[in-house]
Amino acid sequence: MKETKIGIVSCSGEECLGGTISRLATRKVLEKLRMGETVTICLPLFIAGGEEERLFAKVFPTIAVDGCSKLCAMRATEKYSGKVNAVVNVAEILGEEKALSELVSLKEMPQDYEEIVDKVANEICKKIDKIISDILTKEAMEELESQGKSGGGCCCGNC
Amino acid sequence: MSKVVVIPCSGMGKVYGLIAREAALKVVRELKKNEAETKCLAYLVTGDEEIKNYMQGKKCITIDGCPKMCAAKNAKEAGAEVIEELKSIEFAKEKRAMKPGTATNLNEEGWEVVDYIADKIVEIIDNLEVK
Ligand code: SF4
Repeated sequence: MKETKIGIVSCSGEECLGGTISRLATRKVLEKLRMGETVTICLPLFIAGGEEERLFAKVFPTIAVDGCSKLCAMRATEKYSGKVNAVVNVAEILGEEKALSELVSLKEMPQDYEEIVDKVANEICKKIDKIISDILTKEAMEELESQGKSGGGCCCGNC
Repeated sequence: MSKVVVIPCSGMGKVYGLIAREAALKVVRELKKNEAETKCLAYLVTGDEEIKNYMQGKKCITIDGCPKMCAAKNAKEAGAEVIEELKSIEFAKEKRAMKPGTATNLNEEGWEVVDYIADKIVEIIDNLEVK
Protein backbone atom coordinates (compact mmCIF):
# COMPACT_ATOMS: atom_id res chain seq x y z
CA MET A 1 0.00 0.00 0.00
CA LYS A 2 1.24 3.50 -0.80
CA GLU A 3 1.84 5.23 2.53
CA THR A 4 -1.57 6.58 3.52
CA LYS A 5 -2.46 8.41 6.68
CA ILE A 6 -6.01 8.85 7.87
CA GLY A 7 -7.13 12.35 8.84
CA ILE A 8 -9.32 12.69 11.92
CA VAL A 9 -11.28 15.89 12.44
CA SER A 10 -12.97 16.16 15.82
CA CYS A 11 -15.50 18.71 17.02
CA SER A 12 -14.27 18.91 20.66
CA GLY A 13 -17.55 20.76 21.38
CA GLU A 14 -17.34 22.96 24.48
CA GLU A 15 -21.02 22.84 25.38
CA CYS A 16 -21.57 19.21 26.26
CA LEU A 17 -20.07 15.93 27.38
CA GLY A 18 -20.24 14.55 23.83
CA GLY A 19 -17.71 17.14 22.67
CA THR A 20 -15.32 16.34 25.49
CA ILE A 21 -15.55 12.64 24.70
CA SER A 22 -14.95 13.37 21.00
CA ARG A 23 -11.79 15.19 21.95
CA LEU A 24 -10.49 12.51 24.32
CA ALA A 25 -11.28 9.61 22.01
CA THR A 26 -9.62 11.36 19.08
CA ARG A 27 -6.54 12.09 21.19
CA LYS A 28 -6.39 8.43 22.24
CA VAL A 29 -6.46 7.27 18.63
CA LEU A 30 -3.83 9.80 17.56
CA GLU A 31 -1.51 9.18 20.50
CA LYS A 32 -1.94 5.49 21.25
CA LEU A 33 -4.19 3.29 19.16
CA ARG A 34 -3.22 4.45 15.68
CA MET A 35 -0.13 6.55 16.28
CA GLY A 36 1.77 7.19 13.06
CA GLU A 37 -1.21 6.17 10.92
CA THR A 38 -3.36 9.16 11.74
CA VAL A 39 -3.10 12.95 11.55
CA THR A 40 -5.39 15.74 12.66
CA ILE A 41 -6.08 19.38 12.10
CA CYS A 42 -7.74 21.96 14.35
CA LEU A 43 -11.23 22.26 12.91
CA PRO A 44 -11.52 26.09 13.27
CA LEU A 45 -8.50 26.45 11.00
CA PHE A 46 -10.79 25.80 8.05
CA ILE A 47 -11.89 29.41 8.35
CA ALA A 48 -8.86 30.98 10.01
CA GLY A 49 -6.21 29.10 8.08
CA GLY A 50 -5.29 29.06 4.46
CA GLU A 51 -5.51 26.78 1.45
CA GLU A 52 -3.25 24.23 3.11
CA GLU A 53 -5.86 23.43 5.75
CA ARG A 54 -8.68 23.38 3.26
CA LEU A 55 -6.79 20.81 1.18
CA PHE A 56 -6.86 18.47 4.18
CA ALA A 57 -9.76 16.24 3.16
CA LYS A 58 -8.53 16.18 -0.41
CA VAL A 59 -5.12 14.90 0.65
CA PHE A 60 -6.17 12.46 3.39
CA PRO A 61 -9.07 10.01 3.69
CA THR A 62 -10.96 11.66 6.54
CA ILE A 63 -13.11 10.66 9.52
CA ALA A 64 -15.23 13.25 11.35
CA VAL A 65 -15.80 12.73 15.07
CA ASP A 66 -18.80 14.63 16.43
CA GLY A 67 -20.23 15.09 19.90
CA CYS A 68 -23.88 15.38 18.92
CA SER A 69 -26.22 15.08 15.99
CA LYS A 70 -25.45 18.62 14.81
CA LEU A 71 -22.40 16.94 13.25
CA CYS A 72 -20.32 20.14 13.12
CA ALA A 73 -17.01 18.46 12.30
CA MET A 74 -18.56 16.66 9.36
CA ARG A 75 -20.42 19.72 8.10
CA ALA A 76 -17.47 22.12 8.45
CA THR A 77 -15.09 19.66 6.77
CA GLU A 78 -17.46 19.12 3.88
CA LYS A 79 -18.16 22.84 3.54
CA TYR A 80 -14.53 23.96 3.40
CA SER A 81 -12.50 20.93 2.52
CA GLY A 82 -14.17 17.91 0.95
CA LYS A 83 -16.35 14.87 1.52
CA VAL A 84 -15.48 12.83 4.63
CA ASN A 85 -15.09 9.06 4.33
CA ALA A 86 -16.81 8.27 7.63
CA VAL A 87 -18.50 9.87 10.64
CA VAL A 88 -18.48 8.83 14.29
CA ASN A 89 -21.35 10.42 16.22
CA VAL A 90 -20.72 10.17 19.97
CA ALA A 91 -24.42 10.75 20.71
CA GLU A 92 -25.29 7.54 18.87
CA ILE A 93 -22.87 5.61 21.06
CA LEU A 94 -23.64 7.36 24.35
CA GLY A 95 -27.30 8.16 23.87
CA GLU A 96 -28.40 11.69 22.98
CA GLU A 97 -29.34 12.67 26.54
CA LYS A 98 -26.00 11.75 28.07
CA ALA A 99 -24.04 13.23 25.18
CA LEU A 100 -25.85 16.55 25.58
CA SER A 101 -25.47 16.67 29.35
CA GLU A 102 -23.39 19.54 30.62
CA LEU A 103 -20.41 17.69 32.03
CA VAL A 104 -17.51 19.07 30.15
CA SER A 105 -14.32 19.88 32.06
CA LEU A 106 -11.68 17.17 32.49
CA LYS A 107 -12.14 17.72 36.23
CA GLU A 108 -15.82 16.78 36.08
CA MET A 109 -15.70 13.63 34.01
CA PRO A 110 -18.20 10.92 34.97
CA GLN A 111 -16.83 7.79 36.64
CA ASP A 112 -17.34 5.59 33.62
CA TYR A 113 -15.75 8.08 31.21
CA GLU A 114 -12.71 5.93 30.34
CA GLU A 115 -15.03 3.17 29.21
CA ILE A 116 -16.95 5.63 27.05
CA VAL A 117 -13.75 7.07 25.56
CA ASP A 118 -12.60 3.53 24.73
CA LYS A 119 -15.91 2.72 23.05
CA VAL A 120 -15.72 5.82 20.86
CA ALA A 121 -12.00 5.32 20.15
CA ASN A 122 -12.70 1.72 19.08
CA GLU A 123 -15.43 2.95 16.78
CA ILE A 124 -12.95 5.39 15.18
CA CYS A 125 -10.46 2.52 14.77
CA LYS A 126 -13.10 0.36 13.06
CA LYS A 127 -13.70 3.18 10.56
CA ILE A 128 -9.94 3.50 10.01
CA ASP A 129 -9.61 -0.24 9.34
CA LYS A 130 -12.52 -0.15 6.90
CA ILE A 131 -11.01 2.79 4.98
CA ILE A 132 -7.62 1.05 4.80
CA SER A 133 -9.19 -2.20 3.68
CA ASP A 134 -11.13 -0.34 0.96
CA ILE A 135 -7.91 1.32 -0.22
CA LEU A 136 -6.09 -2.03 -0.33
CA THR A 137 -8.93 -3.64 -2.26
CA LYS A 138 -8.96 -0.76 -4.74
CA GLU A 139 -5.19 -0.96 -5.21
CA ALA A 140 -5.36 -4.72 -5.72
CA MET A 141 -8.11 -4.35 -8.31
CA GLU A 142 -6.10 -1.70 -10.15
CA GLU A 143 -3.03 -3.91 -10.09
CA LEU A 144 -4.98 -6.86 -11.46
CA GLU A 145 -6.50 -4.71 -14.13
CA SER A 146 -3.15 -3.37 -15.26
CA GLN A 147 -1.68 -6.91 -15.36
CA GLY A 148 -4.65 -8.06 -17.35
CA LYS A 149 -4.11 -5.26 -19.85
CA SER A 150 -0.39 -5.81 -20.23
CA GLY A 151 -0.02 -9.58 -20.27
CA GLY A 152 -3.46 -11.12 -20.45
CA GLY A 153 -2.42 -13.75 -17.84
CA CYS A 154 -4.48 -14.99 -14.89
CA CYS A 155 -4.14 -13.84 -11.29
CA CYS A 156 -1.88 -16.73 -10.17
CA GLY A 157 1.18 -14.93 -11.53
CA ASN A 158 2.59 -18.12 -13.16
CA CYS A 159 0.88 -17.88 -16.51
CA MET B 1 -26.78 42.79 30.08
CA SER B 2 -26.83 39.58 28.08
CA LYS B 3 -24.25 36.96 28.94
CA VAL B 4 -20.71 37.39 27.68
CA VAL B 5 -19.77 34.53 25.35
CA VAL B 6 -16.38 33.00 26.14
CA ILE B 7 -15.00 31.07 23.18
CA PRO B 8 -11.82 29.00 23.50
CA CYS B 9 -10.01 27.58 20.50
CA SER B 10 -9.72 24.09 22.10
CA GLY B 11 -7.07 23.21 19.48
CA MET B 12 -6.98 19.46 19.05
CA GLY B 13 -3.23 19.23 18.65
CA LYS B 14 -1.94 21.59 21.31
CA VAL B 15 -1.76 21.84 25.08
CA TYR B 16 -2.51 25.57 24.81
CA GLY B 17 -5.83 24.71 23.19
CA LEU B 18 -6.73 22.48 26.12
CA ILE B 19 -5.69 25.23 28.57
CA ALA B 20 -7.94 27.70 26.73
CA ARG B 21 -10.83 25.23 26.85
CA GLU B 22 -10.49 24.51 30.56
CA ALA B 23 -10.19 28.22 31.41
CA ALA B 24 -13.39 29.00 29.51
CA LEU B 25 -15.19 26.14 31.25
CA LYS B 26 -14.05 27.29 34.67
CA VAL B 27 -15.50 30.73 34.01
CA VAL B 28 -18.85 29.62 32.60
CA ARG B 29 -19.39 26.70 34.97
CA GLU B 30 -18.00 28.06 38.22
CA LEU B 31 -16.86 31.65 38.47
CA LYS B 32 -19.37 33.56 36.33
CA LYS B 33 -22.22 31.11 35.82
CA ASN B 34 -24.84 33.85 35.50
CA GLU B 35 -22.82 36.32 33.48
CA ALA B 36 -20.98 34.13 31.01
CA GLU B 37 -21.65 31.22 28.68
CA THR B 38 -19.79 29.36 25.98
CA LYS B 39 -20.71 28.08 22.55
CA CYS B 40 -19.06 25.31 20.57
CA LEU B 41 -16.45 26.85 18.29
CA ALA B 42 -16.92 24.03 15.79
CA TYR B 43 -20.58 25.00 15.54
CA LEU B 44 -19.53 28.57 14.68
CA VAL B 45 -17.26 27.20 11.98
CA THR B 46 -20.19 25.54 10.19
CA GLY B 47 -21.61 29.01 9.48
CA ASP B 48 -25.07 27.74 10.50
CA GLU B 49 -27.71 30.49 10.46
CA GLU B 50 -28.99 29.65 13.96
CA ILE B 51 -25.63 30.22 15.65
CA LYS B 52 -24.85 33.24 13.46
CA ASN B 53 -28.11 34.87 14.53
CA TYR B 54 -27.34 34.05 18.13
CA MET B 55 -23.86 35.55 17.99
CA GLN B 56 -24.84 38.80 16.24
CA GLY B 57 -23.43 41.69 18.28
CA LYS B 58 -22.82 39.50 21.34
CA LYS B 59 -19.96 40.58 23.57
CA CYS B 60 -17.36 37.90 23.27
CA ILE B 61 -14.02 37.01 24.87
CA THR B 62 -11.87 34.62 22.89
CA ILE B 63 -8.91 32.53 24.09
CA ASP B 64 -6.56 31.21 21.45
CA GLY B 65 -3.76 28.70 21.75
CA CYS B 66 -1.61 29.72 18.79
CA PRO B 67 -0.92 32.76 16.59
CA LYS B 68 -3.48 31.64 14.00
CA MET B 69 -6.16 33.11 16.32
CA CYS B 70 -8.94 30.77 15.17
CA ALA B 71 -11.37 31.55 17.98
CA ALA B 72 -11.12 35.32 17.48
CA LYS B 73 -11.43 35.06 13.70
CA ASN B 74 -14.36 32.64 13.77
CA ALA B 75 -16.22 34.64 16.43
CA LYS B 76 -15.90 37.83 14.36
CA GLU B 77 -16.92 35.98 11.21
CA ALA B 78 -20.05 34.85 13.08
CA GLY B 79 -20.93 38.48 13.87
CA ALA B 80 -19.86 38.76 17.51
CA GLU B 81 -18.25 41.83 19.04
CA VAL B 82 -14.93 40.48 20.26
CA ILE B 83 -13.99 42.63 23.25
CA GLU B 84 -10.81 40.76 24.22
CA GLU B 85 -8.59 38.39 22.26
CA LEU B 86 -6.58 36.41 24.83
CA LYS B 87 -3.71 34.06 24.05
CA SER B 88 -3.18 31.14 26.42
CA ILE B 89 0.48 30.81 25.44
CA GLU B 90 1.18 34.37 26.66
CA PHE B 91 -0.32 33.55 30.06
CA ALA B 92 1.78 30.38 30.23
CA LYS B 93 4.88 32.47 29.54
CA GLU B 94 3.93 34.99 32.23
CA LYS B 95 3.53 32.15 34.72
CA ARG B 96 6.77 30.57 33.48
CA ALA B 97 4.83 27.38 32.91
CA MET B 98 7.01 25.85 30.22
CA LYS B 99 5.69 22.30 30.49
CA PRO B 100 1.98 22.59 31.23
CA GLY B 101 1.13 19.05 30.08
CA THR B 102 -0.14 17.67 26.79
CA ALA B 103 -3.10 18.22 24.47
CA THR B 104 -4.76 15.34 26.35
CA ASN B 105 -4.01 16.14 29.98
CA LEU B 106 -2.77 19.08 32.03
CA ASN B 107 -0.32 18.82 34.89
CA GLU B 108 -0.20 21.07 37.95
CA GLU B 109 1.54 23.84 36.00
CA GLY B 110 -1.13 23.63 33.33
CA TRP B 111 -4.00 23.90 35.82
CA GLU B 112 -2.31 26.95 37.36
CA VAL B 113 -2.32 28.66 33.97
CA VAL B 114 -6.00 27.71 33.60
CA ASP B 115 -6.81 29.44 36.92
CA TYR B 116 -4.75 32.46 35.95
CA ILE B 117 -6.58 32.92 32.62
CA ALA B 118 -9.96 32.30 34.25
CA ASP B 119 -9.24 35.06 36.81
CA LYS B 120 -8.27 37.42 34.00
CA ILE B 121 -11.58 36.73 32.23
CA VAL B 122 -13.51 37.36 35.44
CA GLU B 123 -11.70 40.70 35.77
CA ILE B 124 -12.70 41.66 32.22
CA ILE B 125 -16.34 40.74 32.87
CA ASP B 126 -16.37 42.63 36.19
CA ASN B 127 -15.05 45.72 34.44
CA LEU B 128 -17.82 45.47 31.88
CA GLU B 129 -20.41 45.29 34.63
CA VAL B 130 -19.02 48.35 36.39
CA LYS B 131 -19.10 50.47 33.21
S1 SF4 C 1 -21.35 18.41 17.06
FE1 SF4 C 1 -22.47 19.04 18.89
S2 SF4 C 1 -20.90 18.96 20.51
FE2 SF4 C 1 -19.81 18.98 18.57
S3 SF4 C 1 -19.37 21.15 18.17
FE3 SF4 C 1 -21.32 20.65 17.15
S4 SF4 C 1 -22.91 21.24 18.63
FE4 SF4 C 1 -20.97 21.08 19.76
